[in-house]
Parts: sequence; structure tokens; C-alpha cells
Amino acid sequence: MTKIGLEIHCQLTKLKSKLFCSCKANYREFEPNHNICPVCMGLPGSLPRLNQKAVESATRIAMALSCETPEKIAFFRKNYFYPDLPKNFQITQLNVYGDTSIGGEGYVNVEDKKIKIRRIQLEEDPGRIIYEGASERTKITLIDYNRAGTPLVEIVTDPDFESPRQVRVFLNILSDLLENLGVAEPGLEGAMRADGNVSIEGGKKVEIKNIGSFHDLEKALHFEITRQQSLFERDIEIVQETRHWDDKRKITVSSRSKEKDQDYRYFLENDIPWIKLDQGMLDGLKKNMPESISSKKERYVEKYDIASQVAEIIASDKYYSNLFENAYSDSNAKDIANLITTDVIGFIDTKEKQQNSKITSRHLSELIDAINSKTITRNSAKVALQEIMKSGKGTREVLEELDLGQVSDSSEIENIISQIFEEEKQAVIDAKERPETVNFLVGKVMQKTKGKADPVKTLELIKSKLLS
Amino acid sequence: MNLNTSILKYIEDVKSGSFTVEEFTAATLQRIKDIDGDIHAYLSLNDSAINDAKLIDQKISSGEKIGQCYGFPISIKDNICITGTKTTCASKMLENFVAPYTATVVNRLHAEDAVITGKTNLDEFAMGLTTEFSAFGPTKNPWNLDYVPGGSSGGSAASVAANECLASLGSDTGGSVRNPASFCSVVGLKPTYGLISRYGLISYANSIEQIGPMTKTVKDSAFLLNIIAGQDANDDTTIDSNNQNYLENIEDGIEGKKIGIIKEMTTSDGLSSEVSTATKDTIHDFESLGASCEEISLPTIPYTIAAYYTITSTEAGSNLARYDNIRYGYELESEGYEYNSYISKSRTKFGPEVTRRIILGGFVPSAGHAGKYFLKSLKVKSKLISEVNNAFKKFDYMISPTAPVQPFKFGEKIDDPVTLMLLDYNTVTANLTGKPAISVPYRVVNGLPIGMQIMANSLKEKSLLQAAYALESKTTLPEVPL
Amino acid sequence: MVDEDEIIRVAELMKINLDDHGEHVSRVKKMLEYFDILDQIDLSSEEITSQEKSLTELRKDEFIPNDKKLIESLKNFREHYVRAPKMN
Repeated sequence: MTKIGLEIHCQLTKLKSKLFCSCKANYREFEPNHNICPVCMGLPGSLPRLNQKAVESATRIAMALSCETPEKIAFFRKNYFYPDLPKNFQITQLNVYGDTSIGGEGYVNVEDKKIKIRRIQLEEDPGRIIYEGASERTKITLIDYNRAGTPLVEIVTDPDFESPRQVRVFLNILSDLLENLGVAEPGLEGAMRADGNVSIEGGKKVEIKNIGSFHDLEKALHFEITRQQSLFERDIEIVQETRHWDDKRKITVSSRSKEKDQDYRYFLENDIPWIKLDQGMLDGLKKNMPESISSKKERYVEKYDIASQVAEIIASDKYYSNLFENAYSDSNAKDIANLITTDVIGFIDTKEKQQNSKITSRHLSELIDAINSKTITRNSAKVALQEIMKSGKGTREVLEELDLGQVSDSSEIENIISQIFEEEKQAVIDAKERPETVNFLVGKVMQKTKGKADPVKTLELIKSKLLS
Repeated sequence: MNLNTSILKYIEDVKSGSFTVEEFTAATLQRIKDIDGDIHAYLSLNDSAINDAKLIDQKISSGEKIGQCYGFPISIKDNICITGTKTTCASKMLENFVAPYTATVVNRLHAEDAVITGKTNLDEFAMGLTTEFSAFGPTKNPWNLDYVPGGSSGGSAASVAANECLASLGSDTGGSVRNPASFCSVVGLKPTYGLISRYGLISYANSIEQIGPMTKTVKDSAFLLNIIAGQDANDDTTIDSNNQNYLENIEDGIEGKKIGIIKEMTTSDGLSSEVSTATKDTIHDFESLGASCEEISLPTIPYTIAAYYTITSTEAGSNLARYDNIRYGYELESEGYEYNSYISKSRTKFGPEVTRRIILGGFVPSAGHAGKYFLKSLKVKSKLISEVNNAFKKFDYMISPTAPVQPFKFGEKIDDPVTLMLLDYNTVTANLTGKPAISVPYRVVNGLPIGMQIMANSLKEKSLLQAAYALESKTTLPEVPL
Repeated sequence: MVDEDEIIRVAELMKINLDDHGEHVSRVKKMLEYFDILDQIDLSSEEITSQEKSLTELRKDEFIPNDKKLIESLKNFREHYVRAPKMN
């Protein structure tokens, strides 16, 4: 019985400023150490100033994960020395004097399992450390404080996961959810990180830290489960400890025992007063929450009779659901949805491509109209989309330029069919004997016409020719 | 030129043309030159003080709008940041730290055309009661150079008492403005927590400390409070003070007011006989001013010193963790060191008292001990707050002597930690509860000053200053012998 | 009784190098022993109080660029990064 729990850190990069100062929340565009101020550098005499919108964003995350939110929240200091911590303490949240973090006792449905969310808290990201120098002796620690103070939401789950695969599914759901809320950009490098804990057969829990990406997380989990299983099989005790993921060697390694001595001396961060989350504010946030993914999916399925799988794909991705929402009308919703999931997804399959694509909702509805009025074939639409993605030109212009008008004239099609029958004699024989193989011939006609032949008519004419 | 004047009188004189800002500033700087070698109130001086003074004179003569301060000279405790100046907290750890930004309170002074004379000496990182813990040598009490000036704002108090400036901004965590004010015979006010911005005040115990004005007269204190008080966007702990004018109606008197004499702070066996006598006389003075005085017991007070030191050392341990000499500090080459050993090595520059408080601050909130020390202390704080709030339902003010003793000689108290801690006995209550309290110079006996403390309820500075002014009107004090 | 070894361990955790163990440790011990007085007060009913504010009083989410030169005024800054001693 494998049990996995997660500790996920998500940067709130959609905010304009850091958690405690007005430096930029998304630090990526800056030269090292040029997105800093006395506050995030922890200069003597500086004081933190809490970002109002960060509290709102974190509250919305808590609501989206069905968490309970407390009446008031507080911040605490986690005291330890590390070069990436300008103050040598991190301002974070904790449930010590009752519930003081932004949310708790929530859940996320992953397939048929309910993954419980133990706690959500706001905290500041530390700076970034880069090591320079090849050998142990010459290693220098270089620090870039641009990231110090970036707002983070930490999401801690119960150890409810049963497999690394389930973890992966959960993380995809969570990423989509956070993006849909408009609080985070999970696609940005380093914007979402996760540590995990693993135990097997009811044994001791091992924490794994220092995992760089979700990809690495899955690897680390697999490795750790295998490691624990092999110990278990040989009757060797699995020590409760913290291990870190060694990315070079692709293994988990026991962290120095000094972790055990660490005492964070948690106490209230007195420079930030307790913040009341009154019911009025909570109600306001709830009202303005963007529609949830599951609610969108339900709507697509029920109202527009869109297939569940298709609805799932579109609802889960903000880019696609935006395209869909602005393109469909009552009559063509299903077609638009199918066009997106069959064709668009095929070639716009990364966040980067989504950002660079010039396809608009209008393009989609115009293409569907053209297909339905038999001006072009479905295949041609696909070709057109690829061009539109790059150039952004109007639908009509592209169709004309690429000469994608549907070929529906019977005699034209018959000519092509005759050519194909000449070229593919064996296929013709096959088709006469086994009618289900006729699609090969249809395919050849489509190839020859660059997809422009009306496929229905083509099939009709081929069939009648075969009979004659 | 008479440097033993008040801010308000100085402004009158400048307005009437008795002297220029430059003249007074020059005389002040000369005075510093003459005596600060003996007193050592200042750690650094403002090179552009004369230029600043000249600019203000120009503004005056050209009829341009001029700030309320009219260029009066003020010193600033060296744990408050001013751009481009060394801000050392009297510590070797910050020997070379030049602040890249300015504290809000100093910005407000600049905006009103005050002239900063320089930064004053303190106990290292504001931890101490005698200024003997300064890494750069102690400050001497202007009333008798063999005696301590009090602390931690000893330099601030001495600079005002010795006429090296007309006022100073100190900081008060457990009595650090009031105690040296009492020892040097100046007025020292610790305002309500949250009234004055701490942005730019280098933190020692951030949950209870406040910047406070130190002046010759109570009216000057009110004047200065008008300038520096008020909410600051840079400090989330500041509160709305309703923009009061603290000078207005300050002479209203205390007829009919009820004054509580804090029993635990005025028992005769806790006080020296001179202080005890002064206390009794103070009560008579208040009664003659029309107030009624009655004893009140606050049973939590005997536990406040332990709670105070537990809480402040916890916060100090955390607030001083940033001093690892990596981003700022002093010169120490990191070549050859490993990270942890470099930090430990560089932090050996902390003085002995700071070192001890940091160790304490690691101990009392630690996992195994927090329940016994730190969490209990937080509860003592809460209990004290209820007790004091209750008392203020009945009384308008509560009084006690500021310090249980008069100033003492250097080296006298420094060796016994408990005796030293207990000097704060009468002052920490105001810090732990966040209430405003003021020390008014009351008497000088055998050449050594005694101050009396008045406490009021939160945000009642206006009323507090009225009581202080009334008491001050009953006193006649000698001039400082220097 | 407070354990002196523990005081020394705590000092290390706080990155305080105690070359001269004796004086500091014994003084800290004395202070801690004074704090025993806290055991004598009845705190059973006490809650911990705090300062409260509402959400609307907090800083608005705005990006305000800071002085580019700030990093240059801090020590150990060379060629883009702050250099710290090597980590083990």
C-alpha cells in the first residue's frame, strides 16, 4: 500500500508585485539583483507590507479547492540561516494559534479518488543560488535576490495518492485549475514546484525535497518507492528521514542529519497584523470567481451535447475554452468543439505555441460555416488552420490563397477517380472483394486533390464505379 | 548665544530675528566640538548641517514657505537610518553600514526643515540600560561624568541635556527613552505602539518598540510629536491617530483627573530613598494641581521583567539573524571560509550583551522550552494588558518613578545580569501593553537627576502631555553643570 | 535546572561562536533561572492577544520599480551576483 503526499509551491505570477513589497512578482525579465528593494533585501530597518491582492488570490485558491477559510489569518517567522534568505528567516503561515493559514480541510477529485488538501498558506519565495566553479574547493556561492519575496502559495495534501501516475493526473488538474482562476502561470519555468513524501506498507514516511520539476517528481517518486520496496523485501528498516533528489544521478539521497537539529523557533511575525477575512469580502470573491473547470465541462456536455472527452479537454485548458467560448453559437457548438479537439490541438500542443498562435475564435466559426456549407472539406480546414496559426490572415484570404475550395463537381471527381483506379489496380480488386477497404481509395483521391474533394461524394462515386 | 533653550523659544527667536539658523547651528556645532570629547554623546556628525542651516535662512529671508521646525538642531539615535550616513547601532557588526534609504520619521523632520546634527550613541542594538554596551565606548552623564546616562538612548539623552542639540529621537523598547531621560533630566516620551512609523528603525524587538522624542520641555515633546506621528504606508503596524494637534490645549491642567499610583512600582523597598521621597512629593504636587491620587495594584507586574526579556530576546534573536556579514556589515574576506563558519566568525563582532540575548533568544522559543518561557510570556503580556485596561477604566493616568534609583557609576551594575534587568522594572509595562508613557524631569538630588513617569491609555498622548505639562510646571530644576 | 550543554548547542544554532564559554554561558544561565518566576503566575485562562487590521487597509498590488543602483551599494556584489562563501 503506497502512500504519497505532496507539498506544492505555486508562484502567484499574475500579481503585479511581490508579497511584501512593490518589486515585480514575476522576476524573470530582470538582470540579476535588479528587482530588489530595501524590503525584499531585508535591509536593517525595513518592514514588510502585505499585498492585498495576494491575500485575495490565495483565498480564491482556497475556495477553488473547497477549503475552509478562517476568520482571520496571521503570518509567522520560520527562522533558519541560508544564503538565499535575506533576513535569515522566511515569512510564512502556520496553524499554531488555531487556524491561521489561508485555508485548510479541502479536497480535489482525481478520477474516482478524493485527495484531501490539508493546508494552504501564503509565503515568500527565497532568492536563487547558483554555484560556480567546478571543484569542491573552488565552488563559490552566487546569489540572485530577484526572486526573494515572490508570492507563493503552498498547498499541502494528505498522503492520499496511491501511485506516481495519480500524482501526475492531480498535478495536471491543479495546474489547469490555477490557470483557470487567473492567479498563476504554471507553464512558466519554476513557477510550480513540488516536494513529496512516500511511505509503503504502512511504514515510516520519507520526505523528498529539492525536486526541480513535475517530471522529476514522478521520477523521484518511482525511485523512492522502488528503494523502499527493496528495503522492505530484505527486511531492512526504512528510516523516517528527509532525502533530497539528486538530479544528476537520478536517485534520492539522505540529507545531512543536521536537518534533525533544525529548530525553526516559529513565532508570530509582528510586523504584519492579523488580517480579518470578513464574510462580505469572502462573498464578493466567491461571486467573482471564474467558472470552474468542472462546471464548464458540465455545461458543454449538457447544453451542447458535446462528448464528455471533448468537453473535458476544452474545459481544462484556458486557451481552448477561451477559443470555444467566443466562437460557438447554439447551432455549431459541437462542430467548433470537435474542430478544436481534433485539429487545433494537434499542432498547438504547448503553452508557447498557444501564446504565439494567431488563430482567433472568428477563424474557427468561419471555417465551420465553410465546412457546413460544403465550400471546403474538413481536411482543407485543417490545412487552413495551420496557415492561419502562423500568419493570422483572414479565413477567406487563406482559403483563396491556398486554393482550398472544395471540389464537389462530380465530373472532376470522377476524373480523379479514374486516374486512381488506373494507378491502384490491386486496391481496386481488394475493394471489390472486401468493401471495407474502399477507404484506401477514398484516401488516395483526397491525397490527389490535396484534401479538397468532397469526401462523401467521392465515396459515393467510387462505390458506384466499383459496382459497374 | 544661549544654547540652553527650548524648541519653541528657539523658533520664536529665529522668527523675530534674534539670530539666524546658521548662527545657532554653528554655535551648536561648536558646543559639540568643545564638550563631546568628554561626553561622547555622538557617534557621527552631519557634515552638511551648516549648509542645511544656510538654505533654511535663505528660505526665510526670501519669504519662501518654511517648515515648522525653522532649522532647529536635532540629533538622531544611531539605530535610525538616514541615506548616505553610517548607521551602526553602536555595533562592530554594522561598522561600515551606510544606509541606502531614510527612515520615515527623519523624512518628516526634513520635510519640516529640521537640521540634523548627527547620530547619537546607544547600547549596542539598543540592548541595555546604561549605554555601557556600546561597541564604541559609553556616553557620560552630563550631570556627572563618572555616572551613566542611562540607556539604551544614552547618547540622545546626553546630547539634549548637554545642549548639544535641542531635541533627539530615541527608541524605547523597555524604557530606552524614558530611563535615560530620567537619568539626564530631560523629557522622554514613549508613544502608543503604532503611533510612530518604525520604517527605518533597525529592529530589536519589533512587537513593542517605538521611536520617541527626547526634549527639554513637555511642550517641545508635543511639538515634535506633531511632526513625526501618524500612519505610514511603509509600516503595516502604524495606526490611525486622527491627526491630533498635541500642542493644542496642553495647558488645560488636570483638575478632577484620577491618578493611580502603581503599588508594585512604588514600594519603598524597591526604590532608593531619594526616589521614594521624590515620589511622595510628586503625589502631593498632583494633588495640589486638583487631581486625586489613589494606590492601584497591578499584580502581574512582578512577572513583567521575565516576560519582557523572554519576548525581546526571542525577537532579537530573529531580528539580528540577518547580520551574517554577506550583504552588508564590515570588512571580512570570505576566501577560505565555508558558509557556516564564515557566519559564526563574522558574528563574533557582536558585543557580549547582544551575544547573550541572541543565545537566550534561541533558547526560550525553542521546541522544548517555548511552553515554559516564550508562550508563558505571551500570556503574561495578555494578562497585563487586561489588568492595565481595567485600571484605565477607573484612572486617567497611572504614575511611578521612571527608574527605581538615581544614576550610578560606570561599572557598578554591569556585572549582575538580574540587577541590571530590574532597572527596567517600572518601564517595561508601558512597552508590553503598548500604552504611552512619559518621563518628566522632577528633581536633581546630590547632582543626580530623578524623573517621574506618567502613563495613559492608548492613543491618549494629548491627555498625557497635559498631565506632564502640569507636573513640569511644579518643578524647578538646576542647569546642567557642564 | 538549565543544562549548560544545551545553552552551548543553542549558541551554535544561532551561529554564535563561544570561544569564551564560561562567562556568557553562566550569565545566560542566571537569566534563565530568573525566568523561573514565570512558573508562579496563573495563566490558565489567558488567550494571546494581537493587533488586527482589515483587508482593505493593506498595500495595493502595484509594481513600483526601485533604484537600480541599490545592489551596488551592498558589499560582496561583483558582476551581477552577491558572492557568499561556498556551501558544504
